[in-house]
Amino acid sequence: MSLTPQLLVVKDLSTTFDTPAGPLAAVGGVSFDLNQNETMGIVGESGSGKTVLARTVMGLQPRSKVTVSGSVLLNGFEVVGASDVEKQKIWGLQVAMIFQDPMTSLNPVMRIGRQIDEILRVRLGMDRHAAKARAIELLELVGIPSPAERYHVFPGQLSGGMRQRVVIATALAGSPQLLLADEPTTGLDVTIQAQILNLLDEIKERMKMSVILVTHDLGVVATRTSRLIVMYAGRIVEMGSTRDVFVNHRMPYTRALLDGSPKVSNPSHTRLLAIPGRPPNLLKLPPGCSFAPRCSFATDRCHKERPELQPANTPGHTFACWNPLPTNRGASA
Amino acid sequence: MSNSYFVNELVEEATTQTTPERKKRLGVLFWICVGWLALNVLGAIFANVLPLQDPLYQNYSIINAGPSLHHLFGTDDLGRDIFSRIVFGSRVSIEVSLGSLLIGFGIGAPLGMLAAYRRGKFDSLLTTVMYMFLAFPAIIATIAVLSFWTPRSLLKIIIVVGIASIPLVYRVIRTATMNIATKDYVIAAKVQGATDWRILGRELLPNVAPIGVSFLLIGIATVITLEGSLAFLGLSVNPPTPSWGNMINESRTILQQNPWLAIFPSLALCLFLLCLNFIGDRLRSHFEVTEGKL
Amino acid sequence: MLLGIIIVITVGAFYLIHLLPGDPAVIILGTGDSPANKARLYAQLGLNKPIYEQYFVWMKNILHGNLGTSFISETPVWTTIKSAIPIDLELMVISQILAFAAAIPLAMRSAKRPDGPLDRMLSAGSFTLLSIPAFIAIVLLVLFIAIDLGVPHTGPSSYVSLGSDWIGNLESLALPSFVLAVGSFVVYYRVLRSDLIATLQEEFITMARSKGISQRRIMWRHALRPSSVALLGTAGVNIGGLLAGGFIVQYLLDIPGLGYTLISAIGYSDYLVVQGIVLVVAVGVILINFVFDFIINIVDPRISRE
Repeated sequence: MSLTPQLLVVKDLSTTFDTPAGPLAAVGGVSFDLNQNETMGIVGESGSGKTVLARTVMGLQPRSKVTVSGSVLLNGFEVVGASDVEKQKIWGLQVAMIFQDPMTSLNPVMRIGRQIDEILRVRLGMDRHAAKARAIELLELVGIPSPAERYHVFPGQLSGGMRQRVVIATALAGSPQLLLADEPTTGLDVTIQAQILNLLDEIKERMKMSVILVTHDLGVVATRTSRLIVMYAGRIVEMGSTRDVFVNHRMPYTRALLDGSPKVSNPSHTRLLAIPGRPPNLLKLPPGCSFAPRCSFATDRCHKERPELQPANTPGHTFACWNPLPTNRGASA
Repeated sequence: MSNSYFVNELVEEATTQTTPERKKRLGVLFWICVGWLALNVLGAIFANVLPLQDPLYQNYSIINAGPSLHHLFGTDDLGRDIFSRIVFGSRVSIEVSLGSLLIGFGIGAPLGMLAAYRRGKFDSLLTTVMYMFLAFPAIIATIAVLSFWTPRSLLKIIIVVGIASIPLVYRVIRTATMNIATKDYVIAAKVQGATDWRILGRELLPNVAPIGVSFLLIGIATVITLEGSLAFLGLSVNPPTPSWGNMINESRTILQQNPWLAIFPSLALCLFLLCLNFIGDRLRSHFEVTEGKL
Repeated sequence: MLLGIIIVITVGAFYLIHLLPGDPAVIILGTGDSPANKARLYAQLGLNKPIYEQYFVWMKNILHGNLGTSFISETPVWTTIKSAIPIDLELMVISQILAFAAAIPLAMRSAKRPDGPLDRMLSAGSFTLLSIPAFIAIVLLVLFIAIDLGVPHTGPSSYVSLGSDWIGNLESLALPSFVLAVGSFVVYYRVLRSDLIATLQEEFITMARSKGISQRRIMWRHALRPSSVALLGTAGVNIGGLLAGGFIVQYLLDIPGLGYTLISAIGYSDYLVVQGIVLVVAVGVILINFVFDFIINIVDPRISRE
């Protein structure tokens, strides 16, 4: 389907946490791939395992009390099963992450310049002056005013939006081929959200990166991604081109998600539809479809047997559902 | 926020729904330690009634004897039974530590809680005064006062050590109360119009208590060590009354002839402290009090 | 604030004597009680004047470096104290270097795998050490060294001054420094371990990992500094306590520092020396705490901003 070689191939990836209350399947049997220069979105409610998925793809899960199985091939490097020391070679330079909460992801007792140029000095072997000059360039690139002065400040002296820009600058410092952006704008004001997202788009184009954008906000991914993954209870429930997922979705959960987010085309004061019930307990997943307890279309089979991903009409579009919604090409987007 | 930030979130979501909270276990070792302390305290209380030899009786025919059936831990340089002297000696350690911490907590804890709850002038004045006392090294002050306040007695030691511990208790309790008093549920209680006494008693006390108990255990261990040090300087109870500290002190001159005289009281003291420390540590992790808070 | 505390301490040290029952003159003179000395004392301290005037006379003398002249040894108190201070400083520096050098790397090892085999071993060890008071440690060490090495028990090594023979000086301070270092190490190890474990859970550590820098660098450059606030606070208190609490070690091993001097002064009921040492140590403790507060503010910029 594409001429460019695949940057990332994920096969049957599972992440299980060993908790005091028993094993917790945060990610189960996830497979997908990502092309060079592609932007892909992963959407789902909080607790759907999307953050864990992003971290596992990078191999950044906690060192203890986690079991990972399956395969993640990143530029030919097998991430699953690699030791931290082995993964350190690709971290920062081939794959980098933009963390969710700018308030906690920067070291509070380290000047921000140091946090950005650490990767330049330690990983790329730049000398102090070159690294500093590059760090200031990066600060400028992410739109921080008077970057030379800001180089010396501590994170506590910056606003949330500024800190998130610093986090992005740090992630970009090693010019990675793959950027994992984990809810990069969740902690920020709406006006700043758009700025940061546009900035990401722009940088992505300029630096020729692939981006995985993890978010719960469908508005964020609608115009920026080529493909979408919808996750529920640690599994992919629907995957396809962004247009297919928005317009031709087959999985009731995807529709529920779309109904739950505001659309410009709706008249103002339209009531948003909330999804009834709560996300499932990951410690005790039902044997059938995880969404069945909250699904209005659920049948007996849904409760007993788990649906696997099956192809839809369009190539590359798959969904996991026993009672898929009818195709309604051309309906409201 | 944590590295396992998302894990916690997931676990929380997963556990708050159905799984009942797991009861944390204190472990067997914890109860063995509690048992050992209880045994010591009971021994100290009932030392008079127990079938022990007179700790003061001097039998010159068997001085510096090693452990035997008749003298379990041997005898000292005056032919006194070491075992019974250790049992009687525990009285001093226990009395001094409990007595002085009663004074320290009796005055320091309520003041600390009140100051943290009231804030304002009352707090700043009291805290300034307490911190000034805190700067005055307690051990030095204790030694200085005790060395010139003659004749020495157990009660005087208790009073001096007790007073010296007030600012320490005050600081710990005040900090702990302040951390809790700013929590939402306390503010909510205030907004709902609960009386000050109710907030102090129902909201603050139960949450400050674990930190207080942890500190109490550390305090007991500290005071017992302090009493031992004082005994070394001849500033604790007067001989021939036995205390763990002065027994070890007496043993120094005859270490070579009779090492048992040093070993057994040292062992008694160290075991007692070990149990206190262990219990304190377990309780701290049980109540999730971090070391730095004390 | 600092000045206020120093005033309170001087008043406290001064007033100490009046808190005690009995005639101050009798207490101060102790065994040196003779009519001639009594007259001199009254003249020196103005004991017949009102108490606040006495304080001012006393303070004025102190500010001129005059802590009085002992009525027992007939030497100026300040001379006695001055010769003891370097020994305390030396003990303090050596023992603290040893304690930190052991505590920091071991706490890091423990925090790397909390509840791992190494952590359990170190925790158990630190517990045991925590439960052995310095005086017992010394008695037992002396006992075992004497028995094991077959050295005839002639009492603890005697102190050799730094000026005369620095190797001999270090040898004579080896045992006391070791005992004091172990006592400090246990405290530092435990405080740093628990804070490091908490810090390593932070999101910024995960972010540091994601840069692909080494575990070692993460520990030293990213985790240590934000974890060391409680450690430094504890060290400030502990070093202050060492000034005062090292006395038992000094006394047992015949090291003529402040603690040793204090205890012998108590033995001779030399009140003025006791008062002088109380004053010097109290001021020292405050200065040390002040310095550590300052260091903490540098180490953690969050604190000064709050």
